[in-house]
Amino acid sequence: MMSIKEYTPGDSVPLPPKGAEKITTCCDYCVVACGYNVYRWPTSMPNGGPKASQNAFGEDFPVAMLRSWVAPTQHNVVMYQGKPHNVVIVPDRDSKVVNIGGDSSIRGGTIAQKCFNPKTPTRDRLIHPLLRINGTLQPVSWDMALDVAAAVGRHVIRHHGANAYSVKQYSYQFVENTYAISKFAKRHVRTASFAFHDTPSDVTSTPGFRDAGFDNFAPSYKDWGDAEVLMICGTDPYETKTMIFTQFIRPAIDRGMKTIWLNPRETAGLAYAKSKGALHIQLYPGTDNLVLGAISRVILERGWEDKEWIESWVNNMWESSSGFGQGTRNTPWQWRTTWGKFQTDGVYGKRGYKQWVISREEYEPRRAAALAGIPVEQIYQAAEWLTGGGSGKRPKASFGIEKGFYWSNNTGNTNAISSLATICGAGGRPGRMVGRFGGHQRGGTGGGKYPRNKSPEKVPGRRRRALDTDRWLVSGHTRLAHVVGTTWIQSMCGTEGLVEKFDELVTNNPHQVSTSDKAGIIATLKRRVDSGGMVVLDHDIYLRDPIGSRYADIIFPAATWGEEDFVRANGERRIRLYSKFYDAPGEAKPDWWIIAQLAKRMGFEGFDWKDSNEVCEESSRFSRGSRKAYHMIKIAAHREGKTLHQKLREMGTEGIQGPTFYNYATGELHGTVRLHDTTLTEAEMESKGMYQGANMLNKKTTHFNSQTGRVNIQKHPWSLFSDYWEWMSPKGDELWHTNGRVNEVWQSGFDDLERRPYIAQRWPENFVEIHPDDAGARGIESGDWVLLYSDRVPYYVHTIKGVSDDDFQFSELMKNGHIKLGKGAAKAVALVTPAVKRGVMFSYFLNPAKGQATNSLQGRVVDNVSGNYNYKIGVARVRKMGESPYKGEFVHMSFAPRNIV
Amino acid sequence: MTTPVGTIKREEESAAGHGLCVMTRRRFLMTGSAAAVSVSTISLSLFPGRVVQAEVVEYPRKHIARLSALKDDQPLEFNYPDNEANSAAMLVKMGGVKAGGGIGPQGDVVAFSYICSHQGGPLQNRYKVVDNHRVLGQCPLHLSTFDLTRHGIVVSGQAYENLPQVLLELEGDEIYAVGIMGLLYGRNRNLIKSQKG
Repeated sequence: MMSIKEYTPGDSVPLPPKGAEKITTCCDYCVVACGYNVYRWPTSMPNGGPKASQNAFGEDFPVAMLRSWVAPTQHNVVMYQGKPHNVVIVPDRDSKVVNIGGDSSIRGGTIAQKCFNPKTPTRDRLIHPLLRINGTLQPVSWDMALDVAAAVGRHVIRHHGANAYSVKQYSYQFVENTYAISKFAKRHVRTASFAFHDTPSDVTSTPGFRDAGFDNFAPSYKDWGDAEVLMICGTDPYETKTMIFTQFIRPAIDRGMKTIWLNPRETAGLAYAKSKGALHIQLYPGTDNLVLGAISRVILERGWEDKEWIESWVNNMWESSSGFGQGTRNTPWQWRTTWGKFQTDGVYGKRGYKQWVISREEYEPRRAAALAGIPVEQIYQAAEWLTGGGSGKRPKASFGIEKGFYWSNNTGNTNAISSLATICGAGGRPGRMVGRFGGHQRGGTGGGKYPRNKSPEKVPGRRRRALDTDRWLVSGHTRLAHVVGTTWIQSMCGTEGLVEKFDELVTNNPHQVSTSDKAGIIATLKRRVDSGGMVVLDHDIYLRDPIGSRYADIIFPAATWGEEDFVRANGERRIRLYSKFYDAPGEAKPDWWIIAQLAKRMGFEGFDWKDSNEVCEESSRFSRGSRKAYHMIKIAAHREGKTLHQKLREMGTEGIQGPTFYNYATGELHGTVRLHDTTLTEAEMESKGMYQGANMLNKKTTHFNSQTGRVNIQKHPWSLFSDYWEWMSPKGDELWHTNGRVNEVWQSGFDDLERRPYIAQRWPENFVEIHPDDAGARGIESGDWVLLYSDRVPYYVHTIKGVSDDDFQFSELMKNGHIKLGKGAAKAVALVTPAVKRGVMFSYFLNPAKGQATNSLQGRVVDNVSGNYNYKIGVARVRKMGESPYKGEFVHMSFAPRNIV
Repeated sequence: MTTPVGTIKREEESAAGHGLCVMTRRRFLMTGSAAAVSVSTISLSLFPGRVVQAEVVEYPRKHIARLSALKDDQPLEFNYPDNEANSAAMLVKMGGVKAGGGIGPQGDVVAFSYICSHQGGPLQNRYKVVDNHRVLGQCPLHLSTFDLTRHGIVVSGQAYENLPQVLLELEGDEIYAVGIMGLLYGRNRNLIKSQKG
């Protein structure tokens, strides 16, 4: 495993010959999802030549810039129908959308290296089911692995209840898989102990957007470029959604778009924007709420808000409290706001947002700026840019956020940005939108309803909250952990406490399998479960540490991208087919198949799918009403005598933007450019067939996701979070520690850091950016190995019922003994750079290649209201351990700053 | 580092006769130690059965400049391995900053392709000096930057491979280009001639 770290660049590459097959797919990684073409030809067929008549591109080589070139990292050899084939995987030059003209990121650009090839570092793919016997994972048959898993699963549900069967799955890895897994977990097992890879419980990522009425992915990519002022919070899109930046934002910056960035550090995209006059608000982690509140306050005090928009599209007192239509008395929104923490009477009036934000001293600009560590002038500057500053010419303003922002103060920050965007007139018009820039692609289709009433967790008032799977496990209630395509442990935070518990429940339990006899294995695992221990099932493509290598009792080898036909949407809801183009390695099977076999053995009905298209077709009706509704594609396909997958294949890399509509009269499918499109006319809707047949037209198409269809403008009280922020703030020698991603490795870590020598040489180990002043004071230079360590890592340990209002407030949890203090440590290579704010360190969050994930330093305390972790908030001390080998050699890493323009 | 034997009489001469030397340099470049590497690492090629050494020794040996004439941090443009499309390259003495593959008494003289290994953007006039860092970029097309002290590794950006490094040799005061690590953008082979006929 991980044997080839040395990267030796090639100096020639085979070209696809004229007769090569061309198959369409999209990148597997970030939310943008660029279109790619796979050229495939048998190794027995001669390669293409350099003349246009000799290759599949029809190009004379050498080619000019921006033409169809093939880099050595874009070629691989795979097995297809049992025979070796060359594949060249390159961005689609004919693309009219997303990566227009065939642009690509470094990740997608080298995605050919992802394919299984035993001659490359992908050779450690999981290819057989494995069962741990005598402490060692040993290959067994599918029947053996599935029979044991099903027997233990049934036993857990019967004797310990459905909630003892915990399912932790990816949210994004194609609709066929997510549908099958969630159908199994929510409709059949009916467990409340269910969560996706990035959160401890089944909750929304952006509570403020949800409660205001904004969909996370309402804008189209073009909207980002059509803005005249763009506020970018908690991310640099160049680093983490490359095409949104290079295809849409950067050309707009070059045309004169103003950009305002909230970010403690500076990377290449931000540096480029700054060279064109951008405003960089370089704040301390977790203080976004204060800065945004102060900007809102300046705007409202000066009367610069978009009064017309507010009049038409923002709920007033009557609308927000009575909730025309369904009424709000029994909706989650009302539950969260009954005690008046968020609810307002609209913008104006005695209990309006304006009055509130002006009355709160923390939003007084000087005070906010001081806490955030920024010049106060930036607050006034931002207020002026976003509104035109009363000049009479209001710019089109859009607002995009991502994890650095919404995982710092989850509820507070997302409420604050929603309110600021709303008074600036953003949310429902071209170039004036609000949304997430996005993390993973959108591949989730729900196969069942989350059984909220089975969750024992309750917050004060009437509200039952989705169960926190981490605390449930730490409390000892989880008897079977069924993990699908996530590391669970280090992708959460405060990870050392989770490791301890997994050790206790799994490894240190006396009931360990020591026989190859099926009945004996089942009996042992049942004894483990009955004794209070835990059994672990794990689906993955590689053996992950520790969830697979240390804890899993049974491992199911999964087939993935390129090895099965799959469907997924991107960050502008664009739905496309990701084609199978080579054989899955060994006995690996797609997750939907694994789940189906397990479900059938557990006695569940409805899992008799023959292929992934059947799963997709069954799932389509559950997508109705969602932002990526693909049901009408199936209707169209069937009317044309095709399958859903076939119809999508015809649409190639362009696909179609959800929600989809079908005009029965014209036989045409129509997509949706943006949600909340207040400019959409009746005639356009008519022509798309939106009112016909099975088309499902709902509020979010032309209005907002609130009870009235108008935006709820909400308060964003700092006090819900301030006790945690103050407790966390660096003490003594501590520095803020926040983490995130880098462009070269972004949702591709399992491929890149460990198995792509080109990328592994760039990032052989984790790194930490430290400001020169902080580094100098500690005798640290670039290239030194440093230890990041903290004994102030709070772990939230109990599953509790809230009775009084403040029971879930951090200071109360602390006082009542629900927070335990743990330790965390991680080794990293220092990068000393002024690109990170003084007093703040930034590391890569989850380098699986070596050492401890830096998430071990981040507090494992969920947001008071939403139940999400604020992963980006942590502190650490740092000291030099010695010099890394990279300091004195020239092959690996680079210590040059990322913000050189 | 071995100095080539014999007297160089022509400006351009096939490096075939210096195959061993070029191999040694290549090993040195990639590992920092000729002894630590095996031939299999070098021939880690996407072409089963092809041998990298054979390709390296086919490169022309081309006189580029005199060391004594180079000014610190002032790149010099030249073409290599031929004068055809996408052969633009740069040679620079990096003001005493030692680099992987660097020649000269300070190991600070390096040469690289001038064409971005992402989508072929021109990198002329984009040589940057920031403290002791020496970077080429941002590429005007998609903002990639490359670290010239570390074999053209991408600092930030979208490139599909390191910026191809032109291998240099020093003989007395004369600097020669003798090979390339990495595939030049736009080409399917660095050496166009060898695939003709």
